[in-house]
Amino acid sequence: MTRQEFMAQLGQGLKGAPPQTAAEILADYESHFAEAGAAGRSEDEVAAALGEPARLARELRAQIGLKRWDERRTPSAAVGAVLAIVGLGALDIMILAPLVLAFAATLASLMLTAFLLLLVGAFILTVGPSTQPPGGPVTAILIGLGLMGGSVAFGAVTTLLSQGLINVTVWYGRLHLRLLKPAIHPRELRGAEELRA
Amino acid sequence: MGELVDIQLKRGVLELCVLALLAQNDNYAYEIAARLGDAIDMGEGTIYPLMRRMQTEGLVETYLVESPAGPSRKYYRLTEPGRQALATQRDAWTTFAAAVDLILGARK
Repeated sequence: MTRQEFMAQLGQGLKGAPPQTAAEILADYESHFAEAGAAGRSEDEVAAALGEPARLARELRAQIGLKRWDERRTPSAAVGAVLAIVGLGALDIMILAPLVLAFAATLASLMLTAFLLLLVGAFILTVGPSTQPPGGPVTAILIGLGLMGGSVAFGAVTTLLSQGLINVTVWYGRLHLRLLKPAIHPRELRGAEELRA
Repeated sequence: MGELVDIQLKRGVLELCVLALLAQNDNYAYEIAARLGDAIDMGEGTIYPLMRRMQTEGLVETYLVESPAGPSRKYYRLTEPGRQALATQRDAWTTFAAAVDLILGARK
């Protein structure tokens, strides 16, 4: 592989990363080729020693995704982190997908329940007092307020649970990133892949 | 599963090796990659994701130095947390290696 091919594949793999970060990374590898060239090594030899560019890009992107999740606990950062880990192949998507989907569905229905409780509470609070309920209007107001407060707490707990789930995924991905899937020589890589199969 | 164990072992100690190299003197990535590549047969490309992570974690910092052969070089130096990480990991490695040696020796 020539320097140009290597850089093109790396750049392709880094699509979606913040432009400045991608530029920094590409500059690092460019200077690697320049140093190696000055030391008299051929482009082919250097590219082979560097490893597979697509795999390096996946690892770098996973790192960027994890860093973003550390900096900003936003839903989009969460999606980015999880996708990056999945892209790394660290999570076996075929095995994990049903599990993750079930989890997500449960969390979503919990959220929906919380929202409905909030609506019911608001309804009782506003409409209840004027319908001569048993126990008088004050009871209706209290029940309404209670339901609304409960639903907010319920929603908060569900949010914490979701965040915890993503944190566990990220932790697992990070562990994996560090220990299991290096961008090593293609030769060694094939050996590892065969072993996994 | 010899090769897989081999990869995981190297992967685990790569950070320790980089910390140890930088403790001797500041260095630039190509030199680090070439030295580690020779010594423990790692893919040289792996060094760059590692250096980025270590920089994010505050273990190393960078500065630019004019190079006689072309564009300026990005040098890495250990920070104080980096030195502490080296001490911790060196201890962990020494203990671990001694324990494994003992067990391997006992089985002979």
